[in-house]
Amino acid sequence: MNGDFDKDRGGRGGRGAGGSDKGGDKGGPRRTFFRRRRVCKFCVEKIDYIGYRDVKLLAPFIPERGKIQPRRISGVCATHQRALQSAIKRARQLALIPYVTD
Amino acid sequence: MSNVRQYELVYIVPPDTTEEQLAEVHQQVATVVERFGATIERTENWGRRKLAYEISRQREGVYVLEVINGPAAMTAELDRRLRVLDAVIRHLIIRVDEEISVAERAKANRKAAMAARRTRRGLPPEPTEDERRRREGDDDDLEGGLESGFRAGGDR
Repeated sequence: MNGDFDKDRGGRGGRGAGGSDKGGDKGGPRRTFFRRRRVCKFCVEKIDYIGYRDVKLLAPFIPERGKIQPRRISGVCATHQRALQSAIKRARQLALIPYVTD
Repeated sequence: MSNVRQYELVYIVPPDTTEEQLAEVHQQVATVVERFGATIERTENWGRRKLAYEISRQREGVYVLEVINGPAAMTAELDRRLRVLDAVIRHLIIRVDEEISVAERAKANRKAAMAARRTRRGLPPEPTEDERRRREGDDDDLEGGLESGFRAGGDR
C-alpha cells in the first residue's frame, strides 16, 4: 500500500523533471530507457477481486504456451499474483483457459 | 448463522443436452440444496462456450453457474451427486464469501485512507465531480501521449 503510493509519487516526480529540462526534447527522461517502472496492474486499476470467471482479466497473464506469467515479467505485486494464480488454476479446471497449448 | 457460507457452483453439460435434461440437473442440485436448508441465490446460464481443451470427447459445453448460500456439509454431497451424473461433464464448487469480503474490506480501507489523506490536506473527504472529471482526463493522457500531457501542464 505504502510502497505503491511512493512509487506513484516517484513516477510523477520523474516525469515532472523530464518536463522541466526541456532542452533535450527528443531523449525525454533518460532513466525510463534503462528501467521500466514496475507497476501492478491490479493495484493501479484498483481491482480487488480477481475472479476465475473473468477470462478477459486473466488473459494478459497467460502467454501463448498457457503457463502463468511470472511476476518478474508482468510486474504484478505478490498479493495479487497469489490471487491471480488461484484464479487461473480455477479457470483451467473449468476449461475456460487451457492447461497447455502446443 | 455463522456456518452459512456462499458457494459458487459451475457445471458444464454437453451442447446436445436438451432443455429437459438441463432442467433435471438443476432440479437435482436444488433438491440437495433444499435438504441442507440452503438457498440458491441466483442461477446464470452462460450458454454454449468453446472448451479450452477436450472433456469427454466434447469440444463445446453449456456452462451453468449457481450461487448457493448454505452449510459446508452441503458441498460434499453436491460434489458426490454431480460426479455421478452423466449429463455433467465437469463441475467446480468454490467458496466465495471470504474472497468477496476481503475484496470489500480492501475497497473500504482504500476509501478510508483516501478520505483521511484528503481531510489532512483540508479537502472534502469525497472527490468532487469536477475533480473526478479531471482525473479521468489524466488517465487518458497516460494511455496515449504520456509526455505531452504532463509537459503541457508543467510548463504553464
